[in-house]
Amino acid sequence: MSLLRNIASGLRSLFRKEDVEGQLDEELRGFLDMAAEEKMKRGMSRKDALRAVRLERGNLEVTKEEVRSARWESLVETCWQDLRFGLRMLLKHPGFTALTVITLALGIGANTAVFTVVNGVLLRPMPFPQADRLFLVSLTPRGGPFEWQPGVSDRDYLAFRDQNQLFANVASFTTGTKANLTGAGDPVQIPVAYVTAEFFATLRTNAEIGRTFLTGEGEPGNDNFVVISKVLWRGRFGSDSEVLGKTIRLDGVSRTVIGVMPPGFEFPGVMVWMPLTIRIDQHNSFTRPVVGRLKTDFSPQQAQAELETFAERLPLVPGESKRDRMPQIIPLKDLLVANIRPSLLVFAGAVAFVLLIACANVANLFLARGTSRKQEMAVRRTLGANRRRLVRQLLTESTLVSLAGGATGILLAFWSVPVLTALAPAGKVPRMEMIRIDGWVLAFTFCLSVFTGILFGLAPAFQATRSGARESLDQTGRRITVSHEGIRGALTISEIAVALTLLTGAGLMLKSFLRLRAVNPGFSPHSVMTMTVDLPDSSYRTALQMQTFHTQTLAEISRLPGVLRAGAVDWVPLGGELAKGTFQVEGGQRPRGFMVDKPCISPGYFRAMGIQLVRGREFTERDNATAPGVVVVSQSVARTLWPGKDPLGKRISMEDEPKPEDWLTVVGVVDDVKQQGLAKNSDAAIYQPYLQVSSPFFLSHMTFVVRTALPPETVGAEMNGILRNVDKNQPIAIASMDSLVAATTAESRFQTRLLTTFALIALALTIVGTYGVLAYSVAQRTQEIGVRMALGARSADVLQMLLKKALVLISAGIVLGGAGAFTVTRVLTGFLFEVKPSDLPTLAAVALILALATLVACYVPARRAMRVDPIVALRYEE
Amino acid sequence: MADKPSDLVQGTLDMLILKTLALESMHGYGIAVRLEQMSKGVFRLNAGSLFVAFQRLQRDGLIRSEWKATENSRRAKYYALTDHGRKRLNRETREWGRQVTAIARILETS
Repeated sequence: MSLLRNIASGLRSLFRKEDVEGQLDEELRGFLDMAAEEKMKRGMSRKDALRAVRLERGNLEVTKEEVRSARWESLVETCWQDLRFGLRMLLKHPGFTALTVITLALGIGANTAVFTVVNGVLLRPMPFPQADRLFLVSLTPRGGPFEWQPGVSDRDYLAFRDQNQLFANVASFTTGTKANLTGAGDPVQIPVAYVTAEFFATLRTNAEIGRTFLTGEGEPGNDNFVVISKVLWRGRFGSDSEVLGKTIRLDGVSRTVIGVMPPGFEFPGVMVWMPLTIRIDQHNSFTRPVVGRLKTDFSPQQAQAELETFAERLPLVPGESKRDRMPQIIPLKDLLVANIRPSLLVFAGAVAFVLLIACANVANLFLARGTSRKQEMAVRRTLGANRRRLVRQLLTESTLVSLAGGATGILLAFWSVPVLTALAPAGKVPRMEMIRIDGWVLAFTFCLSVFTGILFGLAPAFQATRSGARESLDQTGRRITVSHEGIRGALTISEIAVALTLLTGAGLMLKSFLRLRAVNPGFSPHSVMTMTVDLPDSSYRTALQMQTFHTQTLAEISRLPGVLRAGAVDWVPLGGELAKGTFQVEGGQRPRGFMVDKPCISPGYFRAMGIQLVRGREFTERDNATAPGVVVVSQSVARTLWPGKDPLGKRISMEDEPKPEDWLTVVGVVDDVKQQGLAKNSDAAIYQPYLQVSSPFFLSHMTFVVRTALPPETVGAEMNGILRNVDKNQPIAIASMDSLVAATTAESRFQTRLLTTFALIALALTIVGTYGVLAYSVAQRTQEIGVRMALGARSADVLQMLLKKALVLISAGIVLGGAGAFTVTRVLTGFLFEVKPSDLPTLAAVALILALATLVACYVPARRAMRVDPIVALRYEE
Repeated sequence: MADKPSDLVQGTLDMLILKTLALESMHGYGIAVRLEQMSKGVFRLNAGSLFVAFQRLQRDGLIRSEWKATENSRRAKYYALTDHGRKRLNRETREWGRQVTAIARILETS
């Protein structure tokens, strides 16, 4: 009630200002007059009485101000005044305003763009109801031979599902599985997942059309069902509402569509879900990710404790130790984003640095302007404004500038976010579809702008309102600048230091990237084209059928024009897959933990791929199923197994308990090859001729490799044509070796590019900043320089004097920045290849670049000082 | 020795103004003079604190105002208690009495 009256009264004085003010004036005048009359009655003269009343009761205007400022609406009013005044001041100096707004727009825009990505990828919840209750259950330890994935072995999963008390549902699923989709249009390879029946219930998402899996679907003979994504439904079925009951062919098997998921549901990044029933297989142990929905009454810590107890009680299978299990409860999102998080955080840190530099620049500009407004501030203080009021006025101005910078920054972000996502390495950034500028991003930018405005505005505001009124009114305002030099110098030093840190980071990434590019992969990737086929076991049942396909295809490819050499390998280097395994050595012991790649290759493969033969011979057409078994080993295998001895003629076996005919003779030695990536170690490998391999596992997936005299892309199209003739149901999977190499360095290239861009922006801002500081100082010291020159100083002396000052700032910044770089670049350790974060040559190089760049920036104003005409400079004083 | 209103306990000035207006409506100067007389010159109020208090009381709905002519036929704004203000005054007086007794009791026992 009283609040309403208060607001109403406040609004009245806001909108009917004259009326309210007039009444207050009349009332107060009356009050003071009555007091004076009283005194005159006692015999005072009118003049004395008025004076006494002023002393006793207060001055009319001051009292009015006191009454006014007690109202809440006066805050609104002064803010409004500050805003209008600030806007007028900024518009009066368009050059200054434009420079500061653009500087801040760069800083805030870069931060907005990176935050947009961070928000989309890391922060936005997954598109499931109560997604924060979803956790991965994992028992796998990190640091095995394969890339780590959270997972639980099938046997442990079944036990956990039965014993668990804390999760409402648990489900197991596969990731990274692909299948050939054929029929209706071109064959394509699409991502698919096998999921247990509880999968959809755990994620609390139902099919939009039809249904999801029932318990029991997934048993052999009852597993030909699929649920498809909305995207596939649109793309392949033309949004057919009668889709239920229709079939699609995946890897040659027909499956019935029973459901279509709602749009946006693609977890774990797939288009098709197939039913999975977990059974214990005596020979193979599968480990798959497991997701659970935690009941609302329990915390992840409790779940972690329960999982630890569970893992403790699990019986060990032979050969397994307790250390092979690492119980972990992990937020579900981490399955997708755990790998990308560190690099996104590094980017976020880098752009924060850019913003800091922008702030230092703008603070310097504001400091310079504060000097020229010193008199204005002094006058206002003399007329009764208190310091808080003046600081608020100046902060309003700086916040106005930063808000304008933020608004421009958002425009910059609208343009740069698509560029950023387009440059990102394909397939390496998850949840790309979540990246967009939404309310959270706008709120972030708004808060960041306000914070920025206060951050860079605070020092100039206090500086401008600091000194006493008398001093400032006396002075012309020119000589007071001395006290500013301290802050401005400190700002310049920190700017240089921060820029150096960023540049060092970028320099390290660049060096690492160049090292990575220079790595010898063990083969020669130029002019090599590859074509990969996956033979579905529905139409190719035996090893012989597959070998026939390979032999026929290989023969046709060899006859293509422009083909110099042709060969085939099951797991192509850098193809993203590998098969590692153990083996037996005749008359010797395989070192513990020594596993090798086991590629199956055709004759001619080494030549086509450009892998150097070191000793012995390659495989030939005669190394077929009827000939004695042979292998070619890579150098590290030879070195490890038979150090100092001739490996040729030695025998190994791929069987655990080899029979006499299982022994294979080493006939050649080749170079080691980078199988998994340029940054990874070379893999030891034992090659077998594909005609001597009988397991379909090693034959169903085959990559044909040709070395060409023509551009690889032209030959690629021809290879594709041949594949169509041999089997028209094969999807196209053609890639040049060069592009595979580029793909393995894509992440590093992207990180390097981004960090270098940020570092260059920082460098540019720093150059502009140092230039500004020195130019300003030259302008302020024009008379001093004039006096010096009048007294006989040569221009070289003046130049020296100014550059010395610049050098002091620059070297202080570099020393500080060097120390900072040593500490901060440690976060890059995980991203660097064969470069230590404390790499001195890099630090020295970027420090030199930075020093030279800033010195050149200082030289321009210093030269202007050299040309000062003493007469003009001295006259300037008056 | 509270010779400035700023030394008054926060809210005490409001209570005193309400008390002054309990008998009859009065203009600002009258209130000031009455307060000074009643306190035998202990309180000397400057215009600022007084009018800030009027503004506050009026916004809280404890007093209302109207322009009237004084005995010297000058126009002045007269303040009067509202019902709400009267209730508040009674309540605060009781509360004040309670506190004073309590404080006095503490001071006597020690």
